Amino acid sequence: MTFPASHKTVFVLDHSPEFAESCRQNVDFDIFTKSRGTGVIPLAPISKSLWTCAIEAVLEYCRIVFDLFPTGKLIRFVASDTESHLLNSWDADEQNLPHMAQSLARLGPPNENEDSSECSIMHGLASAVEVLCECSEKQHEVRTSLTEESSLIKNRGRIVCITSVKSDSHVKMLEEWVQDAITQHNKLAAGSDSLMPINLCELYLIHTMPLGVDSTITEDKHVVSSVLSSFIGASRSGRYLAHKLAQVVQVHFDLAITTITGIPMKEEQNASSSANYDVELLHHKLAHSDLVTFDSSGEMNTAMGLTLKWCTPRSNTIELQHCTGAFRVTPVDVISRPSSCLTNFLLNGRQVMLEQPRKIGAKIVSHMLTSHGGEIFIHCLMITRSTLEDPPSISEGCGGRVTDYRITDFGEFMKDNRIAPKESTVDVDIEDSPIMNVKSQLERQTRHWPMVISNTIVFNMLSHVDPLPSLITKVTIFDYKRTFR
Amino acid sequence: MPTIVLVDVSLSMARPLPPTDGGEEYQRQNLANHGITTLLDYIATHSRLEFTALAVYSSLWELIVPFTRDYNELKNGLLKLDVFDKTRLDVALQEVRSTVLEEWSPITPCQLVLVTDGRSGIGPGSFRHLFDNPKGSKEKSLPIPFPFPCKIQVMLICSQSEALQTNALGLSQKLIDINGGGGNVHIPEGPLGLKSVQQMFLKLAESTYAPFYGTLSCGHLKSDIQLAPAPEGFNVKHDFETITRTVSPEIEVCGFIDVSDICSPPTISRHLVLPVTTKDSNGKNKEEDEVEDGKAPSFCVLLHGSLKVENMCAIVNVGSDWYGILYSWADSKKKSNLMLGLVQPGDESISWLGKFSNLAPCTDFDSHPYGEDDTKTPFPVRPAEKRSYAQNSVVWVRASGLQADIQKVLRQARKLPDKQQAFYKELNRLRKAALIIGFYELLEGVAAMLERECTLLPGTAHPDAALQLTHATKQLRLSVERDVTHNITPLQTNFTNEND
Repeated sequence: MTFPASHKTVFVLDHSPEFAESCRQNVDFDIFTKSRGTGVIPLAPISKSLWTCAIEAVLEYCRIVFDLFPTGKLIRFVASDTESHLLNSWDADEQNLPHMAQSLARLGPPNENEDSSECSIMHGLASAVEVLCECSEKQHEVRTSLTEESSLIKNRGRIVCITSVKSDSHVKMLEEWVQDAITQHNKLAAGSDSLMPINLCELYLIHTMPLGVDSTITEDKHVVSSVLSSFIGASRSGRYLAHKLAQVVQVHFDLAITTITGIPMKEEQNASSSANYDVELLHHKLAHSDLVTFDSSGEMNTAMGLTLKWCTPRSNTIELQHCTGAFRVTPVDVISRPSSCLTNFLLNGRQVMLEQPRKIGAKIVSHMLTSHGGEIFIHCLMITRSTLEDPPSISEGCGGRVTDYRITDFGEFMKDNRIAPKESTVDVDIEDSPIMNVKSQLERQTRHWPMVISNTIVFNMLSHVDPLPSLITKVTIFDYKRTFR
Repeated sequence: MPTIVLVDVSLSMARPLPPTDGGEEYQRQNLANHGITTLLDYIATHSRLEFTALAVYSSLWELIVPFTRDYNELKNGLLKLDVFDKTRLDVALQEVRSTVLEEWSPITPCQLVLVTDGRSGIGPGSFRHLFDNPKGSKEKSLPIPFPFPCKIQVMLICSQSEALQTNALGLSQKLIDINGGGGNVHIPEGPLGLKSVQQMFLKLAESTYAPFYGTLSCGHLKSDIQLAPAPEGFNVKHDFETITRTVSPEIEVCGFIDVSDICSPPTISRHLVLPVTTKDSNGKNKEEDEVEDGKAPSFCVLLHGSLKVENMCAIVNVGSDWYGILYSWADSKKKSNLMLGLVQPGDESISWLGKFSNLAPCTDFDSHPYGEDDTKTPFPVRPAEKRSYAQNSVVWVRASGLQADIQKVLRQARKLPDKQQAFYKELNRLRKAALIIGFYELLEGVAAMLERECTLLPGTAHPDAALQLTHATKQLRLSVERDVTHNITPLQTNFTNEND
């Protein structure tokens, strides 16, 4: 059990009047694609507030996490002004973007007229520590299970705080405040059944300021105590803050980027010509684990990014590839035209092979992009020599000299015994689960199943004895042959 | 898994043993050779599909026999070994690392059998030097831990007392620990001699290269099988649990599925499923029996043939809460065999199949899940929530996204009163996104744009267009005071019925 800190992340968002100020990055929202006649003056550009920029950056972070980790990674929002506002809980039905977005909409942006002396980020930080002590469903399940893991469980989490700080000493003060809060809440949790003391908290403090204002904060990371480590970062607001959080999410969840290059797409303006585009995809970094490269001095390259070239899909025949891993992906820029063309192509059921670009030599197809039930995965293919090459021939082994196996009949048998997923509403023991029905059906149907043609008479004269052999194997026999409606 | 036998051919290996009464004088190197031969014989008999390489090291290294299944070639290589000079382990380990990475992949598990007398040398390249300088010299980084999963088996050709003197046991264990891939230190039991060394190697062989025999069953159809390579136990730490499993010798088929539905799932290891007779597992095999075996029908061969023809796979249970897939696999030379791919232990390790325990036979459903004429399929299992790329996501981090969404609203506005639903749909989408991120300035800006559109309407425009635009402008400005779920609905006019 690793009990990662990525299991619980709490965002503490500064909802003070300071954040109602503009980020000073103007957006030209009134653009003319065709001339609308003379005398039409475009409306003045608008700008987003610091709050809006922070929310957009945080929502992108959440989009990436929920796309790549549908379960197991929980995120909470806490807004802080004169008090702290909890926008969702650890419950599974509140861990999705629509719910969190609705809570944000109802909270609204900061009130410019509020008394800023009453507002402080410290309320939010204290609440964040408090909620980290609350158990998630998974933690509660492990704690109350009667296994070895229940006593070894650790409670680790992260607090990501987006605010404006005045100086390095202000940062230090906030770190001490969080440390005190942890000490206090750990005491409370020790005496409670429903709370857990925090074993490790990673505090990420991101200082943000409008464009044109310089940062006076030193970026730093250090250990504050055995239960708290702190990472201080700074970023201008606007789209730079989203970019900063996009880098932070990769560190937090061990992600890497694969750039798919050479995607042929029809031009938007001109449907008859096509150009090649690149799309960046995010995924867990293990998808690159089988591609270790060395530089000239023999040092291993652990690059965070990899470029793979799109291979034009040849045909629709599906083969079973040897895959060593499959990981969910999400585009870095989900709304760009190349990204949505690629994702739609995959969601429509097409598979794409990806090759490593090479100047000389044969191409190596190392990965495959495909979608399963509306989720896009990158599969890692085995590209190196297989230890199973040159296997023994079947005809030389046991049963290899027999020539009259009932292959076609067994093929029919397999099709009759195909499986399908059944929805279950309750958890049952393995003995009562649907897969036991498959096993008992197989047992029933193989009570008499001759493997070779020369060992059976009945199955060689089916036209005379049908439908008796197939009826016998059924669990119940009706007067009339039952057909599927 | 591929094995490298790395033999120490430094001067200390040429030291003779104390002579026994009437016995021959052996050098340590002779003992090593005999021991390795024992090991190779075992592998050749029981795990002949394994690849093994032979290399030597002293102050340099040489790959005597590259990875091969030809055990005679390996044994001949042993006969050619010479004696060289001082022991330098770091060179050897570096070369092992690059050879394995060149030949196999960083995820192929390997085994290193290090045969040495425990005299780890002095100065650069010795064990001690390696451990005292973990960061390596400025030219190269330390060769271990290897970037691929590797077990190190250290075979010490020395007596127990000698090992204590040189601390061979401690240093060897430290080598294994730094690599972090597991393995053991082996030392001959009893006095150092031919028998004890051979015994030591045999013990290694039996623990590491023992073949896996089991049965494959599908209801009452059964076949005795061997899995090559033998599956390893599974021991991995996940976020909230440590999963430890071993493959059961009874492998049961629990259903069949089309290759197009299983969609190349990730497997943690693959094993050839080879039909054997019970005589094989007892170690005896006569030639006449082999001919007989060839003619007795085997379920394995039948299953393989049918899976290949129908392009299907079988789902098998290989242990408690652990499943695998059986399929027909052909190597580059088109020789096909039955292959078992083990997936991650767990009930939901392939998300698009749903839980394995929820897989039911077709007869359990009211309507046939594959359709009357095999026209549809119940797979893949869809998750409850859609991913961001499968929805009409709104991301305004870059201005282009915002501009595009505003243009969508305006385009629909200019078509009013036609396509009224589309206009309100786009407008509500924009309104909702602006409310979520608290971008109220945008709502005012778009309201102003719609007002302007109204003034730019030609005289020939339908009156409803102006009415809807004015209504939308007003509602947009009022959104700020209302709940986010309160959508803007079209204005009901006398014209509305005509437009629906």
